[in-house]
Amino acid sequence: MFSTSSTQRVTGLAAAAALVTVLAACSSNGTSGSTTDTGTSGSGSTLSTVNVWDPYPQYDDSSDWAKYLQTCAPSGVTLKRTTAATADLLNNLTTAVKAGNAPDVIMLDNPAVPDAASSGLLAPASDVGIDTSGFDANLAGPGTVDGTAYGVPIGANTLGLYYNEAILTKDGVDPASITSWDGLNAALAKVKQAGDKGITFSGITGEEGVFQFLPWFWGAGANLKDIGSDQAVAAGQLVSDWIGKGYAPKSAITDNQSASWDLFLTGKYAFAENGSWFAQAAAKLTDFKAVAVALPGKDGGAAPVPTGGEFVLAPLQNKDSAAHYALAKQVINCLVGADNQVKTATQLGYFAANKDLRAQQIASDPVWKPWAAAIEAAQGRTTDLGADYTATSANLSTALQGALNAAGDASKVKDAFTQAAQG
Amino acid sequence: MTSVGTPTSGPVPAAAPHAAAAGPSRLTTPPRRRGRVRPTTWAGLAFAAPLLAYLAVFYAYPLWTNVSMSLHRFTRATFVTGKAPYAGLDIYREVISSPQFWPTVRQTAIFVVVSLVFQYAIGLALAEFFRRAFPLSTVLRGLFLVPWLLPIIVSATTWQWMMDADSGIINRFLGVVGIDPVWWLNADHALMSVTIANIWLGIPFNLVVLYSGLQNIPGELYEAASLDGAGAWKQFWTITFPLLRPVTAITLLLGFVYTLKVVDIIWIMTFGTGTSQTLATWAYAMAFGKGSSAVIKYSEASVVGTILLLVALLMGFVYLFVQRRQED
Repeated sequence: MFSTSSTQRVTGLAAAAALVTVLAACSSNGTSGSTTDTGTSGSGSTLSTVNVWDPYPQYDDSSDWAKYLQTCAPSGVTLKRTTAATADLLNNLTTAVKAGNAPDVIMLDNPAVPDAASSGLLAPASDVGIDTSGFDANLAGPGTVDGTAYGVPIGANTLGLYYNEAILTKDGVDPASITSWDGLNAALAKVKQAGDKGITFSGITGEEGVFQFLPWFWGAGANLKDIGSDQAVAAGQLVSDWIGKGYAPKSAITDNQSASWDLFLTGKYAFAENGSWFAQAAAKLTDFKAVAVALPGKDGGAAPVPTGGEFVLAPLQNKDSAAHYALAKQVINCLVGADNQVKTATQLGYFAANKDLRAQQIASDPVWKPWAAAIEAAQGRTTDLGADYTATSANLSTALQGALNAAGDASKVKDAFTQAAQG
Repeated sequence: MTSVGTPTSGPVPAAAPHAAAAGPSRLTTPPRRRGRVRPTTWAGLAFAAPLLAYLAVFYAYPLWTNVSMSLHRFTRATFVTGKAPYAGLDIYREVISSPQFWPTVRQTAIFVVVSLVFQYAIGLALAEFFRRAFPLSTVLRGLFLVPWLLPIIVSATTWQWMMDADSGIINRFLGVVGIDPVWWLNADHALMSVTIANIWLGIPFNLVVLYSGLQNIPGELYEAASLDGAGAWKQFWTITFPLLRPVTAITLLLGFVYTLKVVDIIWIMTFGTGTSQTLATWAYAMAFGKGSSAVIKYSEASVVGTILLLVALLMGFVYLFVQRRQED
């Protein structure tokens, strides 16, 4: 008897739970466009808060960057900064746009811009009123998707080859000899022979590893439209051999760029492939002198390097869009307008994306000098493929992981790229 | 307290035969009028309502969303508009026929089974060892709990350092013994490495639960057994192990579910690359567009998530079955 009545109670509760579930599901589908925290009412009204998202969690609210950003708050409006890791920001934006509470301004990693734009997350620059003129074409490229401009670079960075001057001098390597892959490999062999370590780089799975691989990939003459080409395999073989011959640490398969930089800072490695954003830190090193040069292409000359850095954009707004865009326009113009562009870029360790302003920036600080040519020759990662770049980058990442794991085994490297090219 | 619900609600007809079967003892209950719910039932429902609402919002709705997502083709764009086209079971077919699926299932199975076997065996051995009180045994037992108390980001990063191929302490130790260094975290060895770390992580849980299980076995049984001339080995297999069976069942079930859903330790050590990709890390990578899956794949991730849920549910039924058999 007891069990019968308890069975009924349980089934009754289950029925009630199912009912509540359906209600919850209905209501959550029914209410679209939740309220924002900007305190708006009706269209054409003014907003009291401007929400800005950036991917610089390393700077907390007391940092110079956070304080600098506050100076761009339009008068009478509170600027609320939210920060998240680069890898999370696009996903956060996706859910925010879906929920109808997107920020007014977002700084998005440049290869993510085509994906965001083609998914309908961004407002065209012409709707917002962002001035897209005056930026170098190679740096502004990722901001234009299918002929529509969405935003502008907040600054730019790229990759270069740092070397430890003390080790090169000790081991008798002339930095001027490193102008091709052969020159670099010869230097690495010499350094290894002398008992020092070779080169650190980031081969981590995902976009970060691909970013670091592209100078070798492009430097071999490969094209992102065919990642299974012989040139692509040659680039994979280069980095694979570094692992196999012990020039590079095996941890490169999981190292991100900060981890590989930390390895270089131990002073045991002769070379490091890393970003211009470390140039200021490198200049201040006291243990050894780190010098930056261009990454060599396969047969000589500087390798084409990918552009790095974020774009500053206005996400799509469905409600009070005019008021949101007006605020976004003011903040963006403040950050990248002619008056502040160099200041903004310097805060982040980046280059100004306008040629004339960049010339002023480079003239004012000798740290930037070795990078001037590289930034002008740098290519946008998404320029060839647009939104399809994301998928190609994932395949290239798989190939790169395969090549690094092969540790020099030529047939395995070739297989990794051939398979990745098939998707 | 007979039944709830309106004539249209499903459970009533199913429950009716039970009520009829229990008829003789219910003679005092007045005949139930159609469409009426007794006030006490309403009160009962009111008390249960907060719990029901909680279950619905935080369990039923997300589960339903997950299943719904696996049946619609979501991309980043359709996720925003909410207008993902219905795909039926197509996405299930695509995921299961993808070249990654079966290797990933195999790796998941190895990860779970090997982890469980070692965690349980080592945990039981340690529990048995700590059963006899000896000086400092409490302190030592406390030390064995450390893996459990450390944040996983700390322990996983430490394992990653220790397993570093060039300068890790494990390879240095192997070098002292004269064994060639192992590239622990490369594609081929990644599964072994993350399994070792996960075993280490799971031992404290097994130790604690099995130790408390051992405390519940009466000491007289062992006294009687030793009077009958049973040695330690025989005592273990004829007393400890059989009497520990209910505790073993729940330990293994919980361990199974915990291990099946492990993402953090694998992700921190290898990002789920190479052989260390399990169903859980694969789903995570696709759901957030991370690691080897740069393109976000909401629907495919939901498919894998649903498969994981079904497997965990199945294990729950196995546990219930084992428990019922033990009670009989």
